[in-house]
Amino acid sequence: MTSTSLPVRATRPVAVTVTAAEEKPTRSRRQVLLVVAGLLAVIAVPALTFPAFWLFLAAQVAAYAIATLGLNVLYGRTGQLSLAQATFMGAGAYTGYVLGSRGHAPLVQLLAVCAVSLVAGAVVAVPTLRLSGLRLALVTLAVGELFAWVLVHTTDLTGGTQGANVEPLVVGPLDASIPLFAYLLGLLPALVATALVLHLDRTQLGRRMLLVRDSELAARATGVPIIQTKIVAFLLASVFAGVAGWLYGGINGFVSPPDFNLFASVYLLVAVVIGGARSVLGAWVGAAYIVVVPQVFTALGIPNLYALVGGALLALVALLAPDGLVGLARSAAARVRRTA
Amino acid sequence: MSAAPGISIRDLTVAYGAFRAIEELTVDIPAGRIVGVVGPNGAGKTTLLNAITGFTHVSGGSIHLDEVAVQDWSVRRRVGAGVVRGFQTVRLMERESVMTNVLVGLERTRQPSVLAQLLGLPGQPRSRRRDLDAANAVIERLGLTGVVHQRVDALPFASRRLVEVARVLVSRPSVVLLDEPAAGLDQAGRHELAAVLTQVHAEDGCTMLVVEHDVDLVQRLCQHALALDSGHLISEGPPADVFATPEVQVAYFGRSLDAPA
Repeated sequence: MTSTSLPVRATRPVAVTVTAAEEKPTRSRRQVLLVVAGLLAVIAVPALTFPAFWLFLAAQVAAYAIATLGLNVLYGRTGQLSLAQATFMGAGAYTGYVLGSRGHAPLVQLLAVCAVSLVAGAVVAVPTLRLSGLRLALVTLAVGELFAWVLVHTTDLTGGTQGANVEPLVVGPLDASIPLFAYLLGLLPALVATALVLHLDRTQLGRRMLLVRDSELAARATGVPIIQTKIVAFLLASVFAGVAGWLYGGINGFVSPPDFNLFASVYLLVAVVIGGARSVLGAWVGAAYIVVVPQVFTALGIPNLYALVGGALLALVALLAPDGLVGLARSAAARVRRTA
Repeated sequence: MSAAPGISIRDLTVAYGAFRAIEELTVDIPAGRIVGVVGPNGAGKTTLLNAITGFTHVSGGSIHLDEVAVQDWSVRRRVGAGVVRGFQTVRLMERESVMTNVLVGLERTRQPSVLAQLLGLPGQPRSRRRDLDAANAVIERLGLTGVVHQRVDALPFASRRLVEVARVLVSRPSVVLLDEPAAGLDQAGRHELAAVLTQVHAEDGCTMLVVEHDVDLVQRLCQHALALDSGHLISEGPPADVFATPEVQVAYFGRSLDAPA
């Protein structure tokens, strides 16, 4: 600020006696233990009991969870509609494929994936987020179509419409061609992403996002840097998607344009809304939905029903459960607790 | 400049096309007082508040906080300087807790950089403790301690109104502007709000500008009043005197109370 500016009054030490409430209700030791035990069970049960194919699907769920966590930040928290989340996954996946096929180490791939996602995200977000709402959706839609076009027209580099075989990801002793290791390779980064999003709840950045989502007017009046907040959210979502796509390629061993087209982006959005857009658990539910439900329909011999059921479920959730399946489960649990 | 600045408004005009919501208004808002802004609908009360906070552009004239001209400053810069407002319609994060809604109001106090926040860099716990203490203090003052972790969409309207006031007050702004804070409250709620605001003002010593219709509340709360009509100042002074002037009575009640009906 210049010398003419008014002095900002710092928050003075508070003289009033204060009951020191934390940001969230403090959990009892028993509750914490329960959560930790539950988490360990969720991690260990697939690793120890799942047959190879389901373990492999669990690895994909973990990879997709990183992408849906990105949408949790961008859409669920900041309220910005993107139809390019799968596109950014694709950017990550193909960056990993191109570098991996030239023998670059996973760490180099990861850094390149982050850099590419960050730059691509900035190119889309910085000019667009000065505009509002629907225009972002339209621009991201165009970006997705452009990406699909590029893939099809760079057959030498990307394999074009035929797709490409990706070298399985190998980090130290963990080789993604072995299902258990694939699961761990997906899970560990997904847990880091989960912790990062949970951490947002404890930061002013996270609160800025929520206020931007709910009232830009109130955000202005509070002094929130609105455009900066939207851009940060978009970049986080882009990097999350890029890393998710990279892991997906390295675990799946094969990538092709349909994995990352407009439908894939829409399904990601649908999954996040169904799970609960604002909820971290909802992002995981969404990821599980996106990976497992198509498999179920394929197993039943009616793969085409997936899109139809997705649409119907989305409508139902939108009408009946605005906080998604996770919100529905939470309010049901609260009701049970009250009557008990 | 004092902690609670006076606001000097000179020849202020705010025009929307041919319509002048405020026309060549010159008025001084005394430092460190609670000032009521009264007048009929369309008098320019909210426009005045928007002009002071930077929410509307100014067609002419100046706004000074003490000696500093602020009419060209962005909203954010004015917020940073301590000018913080509430809204006529309660604008909260409906699906978040009272605590989150209040904490976000600390935006204008020093916050770590985005990267430092994301990575949870050192120094965070201390600034976080400071923020929580500030939020708890204002939550307690406004009597919201019992619902601190509840989602605001589950609260009655009067409490939600208080949450918005808490968000405004939590950073201890030097100029507080409230737009009809008592709208939608019943008599008891209005009295409670007046008591809380009086207490906050006594402790914080800010300059407080309150747009309000309710004659009783203005007399109860405010030490000074401005009456506007059609973008012009028609009276100012102690609230009782302002309401007693015939021009205000005509503008407000459609007739002078002394004149036969």
